[in-house]
Amino acid sequence: MHSIIRASAWVAIKLPSGNTRVIQALPNTTISLGKYGSFPANLIIERPFHLTYELQDKRADETYSRLRVVPTSELYAEVFADEESPTCSTPAAGLNEAVITPAEGEEFSVVEIESGKVVARSNREVIDENARQTMTQDEIEVLKKLGNNAGKEVITQLILSHTAIDQKTSFSLAKYKLLKEKKYMRRFQVLPVDVANFSNYQLEERDATKILDMRGEMMGLVGCWGNVHFGGEDVYLDDPQATTEQGHEACTPVQEDLLKGRWLVVDDTGGILVAAMAERMGVLQQDDDAEIDEAKTEEDTEEPEHTSTQAANTAQNGEHKPTTADSNDADIDMLDADAESTASAAQESTATKPPRASKPRASDFAIPYSQTNTITVVHGASQPNLSFLNYWGFDVTSPTHPPHPLLHHLLTLTWLQLLKPELDTSYSTPPLVASERTLVAWKPSRRGNFHRKRRRYARIRHIVDSARAGNFSGLVCASTMDPVSILRHTLPLLAGGAPVAIYSPTLEPLAALSDCFSVSRRTAWTSGSVKEIVDKSVEELESWEGNEEFPLNPTLLLGTSIQTSRARRWQVLPGRTHPLMTERGGANGYVFTAWRAKPAEGRVEAKGKFKRKRTEVEGEGEGDGGVVVGEEGSGGDASASATAETTPAAAEAEA
Amino acid sequence: MSSSISPFLELGPRTKANSLAVLHLSRDNLMPVYLQQTSGEHDGYSEGVVVNTRYGSFPHSTMLNVPWGSQIRASKVDTGSRGRKRKRVPGDEADRDNESGADTTTTNPAAAALNANGVKEAVAASSGFIHVLPPTPEIWTTSLPHRTQVVYTPDYSYILHRIRARPGAVVIEAGAGSGSFSHASARAVYNGYPQPDDADKKKKRGRVISFEYHEQRFHKMKQELADHCLDQIVHLTHRDVYKDGFLIEGSRSPEAEAVFLDLPAPWEALPHLSRRKPEGYTGLSEAAGQRKEGEGEWTSPLNPRKSVYICSFSPCIEQVTKTVSAMRRLGWVDIDMVEIANRKYHTVRDRVGLNMPVDRGVNNSARDDGIDGEGVGGGKKGGAVETSAHPWMDGRLVTRGEPEIKTHTSYLVFAILPREWTKEDEEATAKKYPIGEEKQVVGNLDKAARKKERQEQMKKLGNRKTRRKERDEKMAETEG
Repeated sequence: MHSIIRASAWVAIKLPSGNTRVIQALPNTTISLGKYGSFPANLIIERPFHLTYELQDKRADETYSRLRVVPTSELYAEVFADEESPTCSTPAAGLNEAVITPAEGEEFSVVEIESGKVVARSNREVIDENARQTMTQDEIEVLKKLGNNAGKEVITQLILSHTAIDQKTSFSLAKYKLLKEKKYMRRFQVLPVDVANFSNYQLEERDATKILDMRGEMMGLVGCWGNVHFGGEDVYLDDPQATTEQGHEACTPVQEDLLKGRWLVVDDTGGILVAAMAERMGVLQQDDDAEIDEAKTEEDTEEPEHTSTQAANTAQNGEHKPTTADSNDADIDMLDADAESTASAAQESTATKPPRASKPRASDFAIPYSQTNTITVVHGASQPNLSFLNYWGFDVTSPTHPPHPLLHHLLTLTWLQLLKPELDTSYSTPPLVASERTLVAWKPSRRGNFHRKRRRYARIRHIVDSARAGNFSGLVCASTMDPVSILRHTLPLLAGGAPVAIYSPTLEPLAALSDCFSVSRRTAWTSGSVKEIVDKSVEELESWEGNEEFPLNPTLLLGTSIQTSRARRWQVLPGRTHPLMTERGGANGYVFTAWRAKPAEGRVEAKGKFKRKRTEVEGEGEGDGGVVVGEEGSGGDASASATAETTPAAAEAEA
Repeated sequence: MSSSISPFLELGPRTKANSLAVLHLSRDNLMPVYLQQTSGEHDGYSEGVVVNTRYGSFPHSTMLNVPWGSQIRASKVDTGSRGRKRKRVPGDEADRDNESGADTTTTNPAAAALNANGVKEAVAASSGFIHVLPPTPEIWTTSLPHRTQVVYTPDYSYILHRIRARPGAVVIEAGAGSGSFSHASARAVYNGYPQPDDADKKKKRGRVISFEYHEQRFHKMKQELADHCLDQIVHLTHRDVYKDGFLIEGSRSPEAEAVFLDLPAPWEALPHLSRRKPEGYTGLSEAAGQRKEGEGEWTSPLNPRKSVYICSFSPCIEQVTKTVSAMRRLGWVDIDMVEIANRKYHTVRDRVGLNMPVDRGVNNSARDDGIDGEGVGGGKKGGAVETSAHPWMDGRLVTRGEPEIKTHTSYLVFAILPREWTKEDEEATAKKYPIGEEKQVVGNLDKAARKKERQEQMKKLGNRKTRRKERDEKMAETEG
C-alpha cells in the first residue's frame, strides 16, 4: 500500500458528483476535471491520499488554480450543526447528553427553518423546482466564470434566489443543497488505485460486464474461501549455467518438493481476479520501503530499468534471483519487429555497459519464477487477457519490463499447454543451440532472438511441467467457461484438502456444477452401482473423463456450497439514517465453494441403520457425508427424496 | 509446538501429530481435533486416542500422516467394554457413549496386533467414514468453540477486503471474542514469521494486534493461539481499550494501518485512534484523559505514513449513529455504513409436477401412465411408488435458499483517516515539484484541445502508408 501519491502512478479522483476519474498523475501536467476546473498535477504528487482538496480561484498573476486542503470540520459542518440543533434525535457522541433531550414524539416531525416550529409539510405544496428558481442560466454561468470561492458562492446565490425556499421542508432543503453541491462544488479527493477502488470504479462507472459484475463482497468471499494468502518466502531454482551449446538436457527439472503456496486461476475478468489474488499474496506492488529506496536510486542515476531490477532485488532480501533483462517477454512472439529490436538493443546496452551490477547475467535456462507464492493462470486464447494489471504497472505483453513482483510470481499457460503440451510447438520444439563462435558472428538482433527463444523454451517448460505436477493449494475461478469442464481438468491437479472457489455472475452454471456432487450421485458412485467405474483404481478415477450421468467424479469434492453476499449501504445522518434508496442491480454474483477430497480406496459405505436390506442398491440414500440412511428405500424414508437432499439430522430422525 | 509453522498459514502435504485438523463429519458438522500420536493405551482404548462420532469411531492413528482431505473409514473400536456393564456390539455405537463412560477403565484383554508404539492396529469397520480437512479460517469459523458472537466469513471477508488487510500490514483488533476474525486477519497480513534480522533488512512483517478485556476469554484465546502456532503473528493483550488505548509493550506504537473494532461502545475507543491527542473532544472518558496527561508525550498507535482504514462492527443502529458522529469529529473521512446479507443456496432435483412418481405414495398426475411402463425399475411393493433407475438425473434442477437465514449480523461502519500533512511537509514537496511548467493536459479536455492534440499526434505519426513503409524497412533490416 502506498503512503503517498507517487509521480506517474495511477490515481482515482473522486468528484463531488460521485464520479471517479482514473488518471495517471504525470509530473508537469495539468489535470483537468471538466466542469470542475483543472489544476497542476505537481500539486498532488507526493501528497497523502484521501485528503479533500478544493480548487481555489486563480490568482491574478497565475494561470492555474491552487489547491486547498479542506479540513474535516468544514466537510461535516452541516452535520455538526444538525447534531447541535435541539430537535436532533441523534445527538453527537461525546456531547453532553443531558442537554439534548428531544421532545417525545417529535423525532420524525419536520421543522420549519426560521422559527424552529414543527410543521410537517405535505408534498402537495412542492411545485416544480425550476419554476421557482429566479436565477437564469446566464446569471449562473457568470457566477461560475467568476469562480468565487470554489462554487460555494453559486450555491448560496441559488438557494437565496429560490422563491420557495421558506416552504421547503428541512429534508428537501438538504436535498436541494446536496444536488447543487454535486453540480457546483469544486472539490475532489484523491484515492489510491487498489483492487477495491478500481473494481468499484469499473463496476459502477465503466463496463461491469468486463469484470463479470464482480462486486467487492464477491472478491472477499472468493479470496477467503479460496484461502488465498501469502504462500511462503520466495525460493528460486539454481541457474543451471547452461552454455549456448546445450539443449534441452541442461534445463532444470521441476522439483516438486519445492513447489508450495501455488494457486491455480482461470480468469476472464481481464485481470481483476488475478490482481485481487496478487494483492492478497503480497505480489501486486512492491512494499513501500523497497519503493522508497528505489525512488532514491532512480533519482541519482538515469539507469536503465532492468539493471535496477537486480539492484532492487538484492537490496530487498539479498536472495538469489536469476533475473534476466527481459524476464517477461511473456512467451509472445512479438510480431512487431520494432519492439523486438529495441528489446535486443536494450540487452546489448546492458552487456556493453560498464558493470555497475557486478552479477553475471543469468544463463538462458535460468528460471525467473519463484517456486512458492505463485499464481498460475490458465487461459483459453493464445495470450492471457490481464490488461487491468496495467494499472498496477504490470504489462504481460511487455518484452522489457521494469521490476515488478508479478514477474516472478505470475505464470501463464494455455489450456492446450496444460492438457496436451506435446501438441504445442513452443513446448515441444527443442531449443536452438549454437556455439559461441557462430553466435559472435551473428548480427546482434539475431543473437537476441536466439537467446530470447531459448529463454522462452525454458520458461514454458518450467510453467507447464510445474502446473502438470499438480499439488496446487487452491483453485480460484471467475470464468465464462462451463465450470464443469474447468473442474474436470483442474480437480486432479489440486492437493488434498485444497479449497475450490468459483465465482459466476449467475446461479445456473453453479447449480449445475453443484448437482454433479449431489448426494444421490455420490451414493451411487460409492455403492458400486455405476458399471463404468467398477474396476477402476482411485488414481484412474481422479482423472475421470466424465460421462453423461457423471460429468465429474462426485467424490472429489467435499462440502459443496453456493452462496451470495450483498452489502446494503446506508446513509447515516443525524435524524435521517436509512438504507440507500437505489443501488446497482444487474448480475448478483454467486460463489461455489468446496474442498478437494481424497476418496478412500475401494467401496466405502456410509453409516446408517438398515431396517430392511434390498437386493439391488439403487442409491436413493439420503443424508450427507457420513450418514446415509442408505439402501433401504422404503416408502417412508424415501419421502425425504422429494427434495432429494436432507440434512443428516433429518435423515437420522426419520430412520 | 509453538516453534513450528501454523497449519493455517503454511500447510504440509500430510496430517501431522500435535497439529490441528478438522474432521468433516457432514455438511456444517465439523469437529476440530488435535491429532495425537500416542504410545500405548489411552483412556481405555487400546487403539490410542479415539474420536467417537455418530458415524463411527476413528482412532487418531488412522488419521495421522495421510494426505489432507482424505476419506477415513471408521474402525472397529471396542467402546463398550471400557467400564460399561453391558457389552455392546462394535459398530453399534452410533450414539451418546463417547465420553460418558470414561470413569473406570478396563484393559481390553483381546490380544490384538500391537504396532511399534504398543497401540493396537485399527481394523476398518464395515461402514462409516469422515474426511480430514486442513484448518483454514473459514473451516475454523464454522467449528470453533463459541465464546462470544462470532464474526462469520461473509462479514470478515468483506471487512478484510475493505480495510486493506494485506501481507505486511499491521491490524489492530479490539474485542478478540471467539477469535474467528483474529485467525482470518492473521492469514491476511501474514508475510512470514518474524526473523531476527528483519530490522536490518527493513522487512516489515504483518501482525495482528489484538485486545480482549474479558480475562477468561483472554486466557482461552492465548492458549488457542499458541496451539495454532499463531502467537508470533497475533499479539494478544488483556486490556480495556476504552481506558488504556492501543499501545503495546508499555508505550510503543504498533503503527497500525487497519483497525477492526468489535466493541459495545466503539466511540469510547476511537479517540485513542487519532494522529495526535484529540483536543477538546468531550467524548474522551475521564480516565483516559488523566492517563494521557500523566504520561506527557502522546503516542499514536497508527502508522504515521499511511492512511488508516477502520471498520467498526456493531449490531445496533444507535451504536452506529454514535460511532459515525464520533468519527466525524475525529477527522475520519469516507465514512460508509453497510450491512452484509449473505444467502446460501441448495441445489435440489425437483420432481413435483413433472409427471414423475412423487413421494408418500401419492401421485400428482391424473393418470399414472408412465409409472408402470418401461424405464421404471421393478420391485414395486405395497403401493410404494418406484423411482427411476437413476434418481440423480430425474426432475428439474432447482435452487432453494437454506431453511434458516441470518437476516442481520451487524452493521459495518468503514472510514479512513488520512495521514497527517503539515505545513513543513507541504513546503518540502512543493519545492520538489514546482508548478507552472505544465506541458500537457490529462483528464477531461475541451473540444478544441482534443482536436489539437489529435492533429499533433497525426502529424507525428504520418499517414498509414508511410508508417507501413517504415515498418517494412525496419523488418527487412532485422531479418537481414
